[in-house]
Amino acid sequence: MSQQSQTLPAPGPASVRGRRLLELLGAVSIAATFIFLVLTQPADITNGLASGSTLVALGGFLLGAILLIIGVLPTLPTSTLVLIPVALVLNIALGQIMGSTGLPFYFDAIGTVLIAVLAGPAAGAATGALSSIVWSFINPTVLPFAAGAALIGFLAGLAARCGLFRRFYLAPVAGFVTGILAGVVSAPIAAFVFGGTAGAGTGAIVSAFRAMGDTLLAAITKQALISDPMDKAIVFAVVAMLVYALPRRTALQFAFVRRFNVLAGKTQETPGD
Amino acid sequence: MPNRRPALNPLTTLAAAVAAAVMTTAASSWAVSLAVASAAAVLAVRAGVGARLAPAAAVILAPFWLSLLIMHGLFFPEGRTVLAQWGAARVTTEGLGFALDMGTRTAAYVMVFLLFSFTVRLPDLVAVMSARRVPPQFGYVLASTLTLAPAVTVRLARIRQAQESRGLVLRGGPLRRLAAARQQMVPLVLALIQDAGDRAQALDSRGFNASRERTSYREVPDTAAQRTFRAVALAAAAAAVGLRISGHWPEGLWMVGLWPDAPSPVALLAVALLARGVPA
Amino acid sequence: MKAAALLQAGITEFSYHGEEAPVLRDIEIAAAPGTLTAVLGGSGSGKSTLGKLLAGWMSGGHSGLFRGTLHLDVQGAAPGGDSSPLVFRGSPDDPRINPALWSRHVGYVPQDAAALLSTVGSTVAEELAFGLENRGVNRQLMQSEVERAAEAAGLTALLDRDPATLSGGELRRLAMACSAITRPCVLVLDEPLGSLDHAGAQSVRALVRSLLESGTAVIVLTQTVDELGLAADHWLVLDGGTVTARGAPGGLAASAELLQSGVVLPAVPGYGFGWQCRAVAPRGADSRPATPRPDNPRPATPRPADPRPAADTPAVLELERVSFAFPAGRGGQGRGILKELSLAVRSGEVVAVTGPNGAGKSTLLRHFNGLLRPGLGTVRVLGADIRGVPTGRVADKVGLLFQHPRDQLFERTVLREVLFGLDRKYGPEAAGKARAALTAVGLGEQLETHPHELPASAQRLLALATVLAREPDVIALDEPTVGLDRHGLERLDDAVRAATERDAAVVMVTHELAYARQAADRILELRDGSLREL
Repeated sequence: MSQQSQTLPAPGPASVRGRRLLELLGAVSIAATFIFLVLTQPADITNGLASGSTLVALGGFLLGAILLIIGVLPTLPTSTLVLIPVALVLNIALGQIMGSTGLPFYFDAIGTVLIAVLAGPAAGAATGALSSIVWSFINPTVLPFAAGAALIGFLAGLAARCGLFRRFYLAPVAGFVTGILAGVVSAPIAAFVFGGTAGAGTGAIVSAFRAMGDTLLAAITKQALISDPMDKAIVFAVVAMLVYALPRRTALQFAFVRRFNVLAGKTQETPGD
Repeated sequence: MPNRRPALNPLTTLAAAVAAAVMTTAASSWAVSLAVASAAAVLAVRAGVGARLAPAAAVILAPFWLSLLIMHGLFFPEGRTVLAQWGAARVTTEGLGFALDMGTRTAAYVMVFLLFSFTVRLPDLVAVMSARRVPPQFGYVLASTLTLAPAVTVRLARIRQAQESRGLVLRGGPLRRLAAARQQMVPLVLALIQDAGDRAQALDSRGFNASRERTSYREVPDTAAQRTFRAVALAAAAAAVGLRISGHWPEGLWMVGLWPDAPSPVALLAVALLARGVPA
Repeated sequence: MKAAALLQAGITEFSYHGEEAPVLRDIEIAAAPGTLTAVLGGSGSGKSTLGKLLAGWMSGGHSGLFRGTLHLDVQGAAPGGDSSPLVFRGSPDDPRINPALWSRHVGYVPQDAAALLSTVGSTVAEELAFGLENRGVNRQLMQSEVERAAEAAGLTALLDRDPATLSGGELRRLAMACSAITRPCVLVLDEPLGSLDHAGAQSVRALVRSLLESGTAVIVLTQTVDELGLAADHWLVLDGGTVTARGAPGGLAASAELLQSGVVLPAVPGYGFGWQCRAVAPRGADSRPATPRPDNPRPATPRPADPRPAADTPAVLELERVSFAFPAGRGGQGRGILKELSLAVRSGEVVAVTGPNGAGKSTLLRHFNGLLRPGLGTVRVLGADIRGVPTGRVADKVGLLFQHPRDQLFERTVLREVLFGLDRKYGPEAAGKARAALTAVGLGEQLETHPHELPASAQRLLALATVLAREPDVIALDEPTVGLDRHGLERLDDAVRAATERDAAVVMVTHELAYARQAADRILELRDGSLREL
């Protein structure tokens, strides 16, 4: 065995292309499902169970989430992969605690956003989707929200890449915007799959809008627009606080952090990547 | 616990759970939903996981039902048959019916999947998935999360003790508590990330991310009968989805709930098989 | 050296990303078949970094910049006659070691053995098989290999156990077996005996011996000259990231380089070492010529010889007929149970508590500040019952230091860490108190460092400083010697002495009887739920 056989070749682009296709298909599946639901449904949801839309919502969003996972997971370096279980434990623990308080917040994306900031949008999206899938072993009702969770991870990674985590006050702003989009995507799931929201706090807000005569989807979307942006702003701020507390040696271990100078002042010229 | 019966292949129970959930959703009838949920409950008790499953399901379903009842029971602008009215709140038959439909459907879904996750042997599931060429990373994340969770709990308790011993009083108003939560989060997250860094290098050195195809040490039994069942269950689920989406669902039969038509027994059978996943 | 080296490394320089100073520089190390090499170095000397570098865990630029060479000369290697070393220049086109292939020749077991485990194996057997599964070995071969590896490591009886339930020694052996299962010719072990009790250490030593007999080259990284270190063929003394001395153990044992390095030299039968150099050589300028400590202005006053804790001094800490049991069903049956235990510690007194693993030493310590509350009996601090007083308040009087310093540290810099909560107690004087406490443990120069970037020994001392700065009347230490190098032990000694001089009481729990004898006024043994004088 020669010395050179102990080393790795430079990574080639061939396998990457196939994975990119899967990621793209996943994203398209989620987007198409969302558009279909919004275009076809709003009016008649409450006239029957509308289980056709339920199945489309479930199928399309889950398929998208799974394609994303299969596309992204094998491309992640092990140093990112081992963080995902850590992120999931944080998500699930905080999400379960918050769910039991009755407050209209979720806090179930801290781990996802943390990964996204350290390892980028693709890793964030995969973590979000995986989080829903693994959490569904304890609470199956989160499974249908996998696509929304993936979107949160993706947007958080994008925000980090654009430098929104370099200043502490920018992070909650990015979180707010992410929350708006994530809320709009998740609302059809709550409406068509569950016919409402799971928590007492969120339920009260939906009831208020229903009392004013909104359709169920509209009421839930409005509720999401109240809860989600606030929730995500807090989550992004918490994550910013956490990554600032990281020792430099740890933060710079991540190629994404080094390459896009995610955390201001923690950069330096590095070879490769 | 004596192992009286060899466990089913995890894919069989997973296929059963998926088929049951899909067909219940497609059926869209509170009677079917209720039957599936009850069947799952009975089987959970028989499989010996009833005591664990009941509180887990209650924690999810109780607030959800309450929320549905308030939301649709009191405020259902589409409702026509008004039973009672206080100001803006109107109790309507349609609203209550909708709450019942959604409540039972979600209950069936939750029960079936909890029955699956509480009876499946996770190492078997991971082994089967890696044999099916699911990316091994997926199995890793699944298994590692579940082993990590108790370790994180222990660690958090240790951090809390260490910090209290440093004079941090973990009592007081919400702001105090928030500050205390921050002080516990930071060492927890730092330690977890640093541990993960070491583990990454260890996994690499043990060949984890190699492009080579993996083999599996754990042997998970499978039978021809199970393979057939999986195919039938998934085909039935696909047929149910097709019927529902194309608009050819035999609606009336379901509402009466008496007609022994095809998907309903399959749904119940699926749940029955699910429970065999774990020896009673 | 008799045989040709299997692995030869020449490290010109290695530094982590974002850090100017190299962690390692100018190191030559070689491993020959069947030999045991001990790399001795204090905390922060770069041992672990060296181990990871040899194991191929650090290449590829994802951790830091590496300049140097690695040369693997395995039999049957280089079929094409190509056995030139891998050269790293710290540039992007450096070779990237494939850790999966490299580990077939060079195995590495990190200091925290649990880090090597995959966390996905539900049994010991599956954990052992993990590396083989990844390499696509077929099931039959895998089963026989797992059996062989388990046999060699004495794990056969444990094959069906959940790895999370293993003891420290078993876990270490499992990690070593996981590394050795691919039969690497070089095995690098980081602190293989660290924090193991006697039985655990013995089982690990036996495994190392059998590996050596099978021709494996073993490199041990350690900060204590333990039995493995003494059995080594070759010593390298690592200090400040570079090799300051090398040679046969006999020639280096009393060398100035070794004394200076911070390596702990415990009392080993047949060797003339005391627990610390101070115990054999009286503390003075000549015993540590090259470690100037300008930050330590205190004159070296030996402790007064008179038995100071006079019998009539009131006890600062008093446990009266304390009984405690963990709630049933939480796995605590029979472990950590206290039965009508009484203890009185007077001011200025140093008490050591020893006892077998699982006797309840840590449980006892947790009663001092109310982390655990006695089922029956009373705990009094300065004469006042602490029943109902929150731990955070008792902590003003009782400072408790745990084994894992990282759990206690949460600030961004060393200074902020000690300052935390101090201003509430001292107001404007807080900054001065914090600096004084940091100076006392030797961290006066590193006020702006991130606590988690300190070496392990310094992290423990920082945690100690956070306790000292509050000037508690009782200082309780859980296994204070674990993880400390010799410099750290000296600081600990100084801190304990300074505390007793201001009439604080010190209670320490330790499994190192030799250390307890040297440090304490009184030694108590915890056995069967009660204490008795040793």
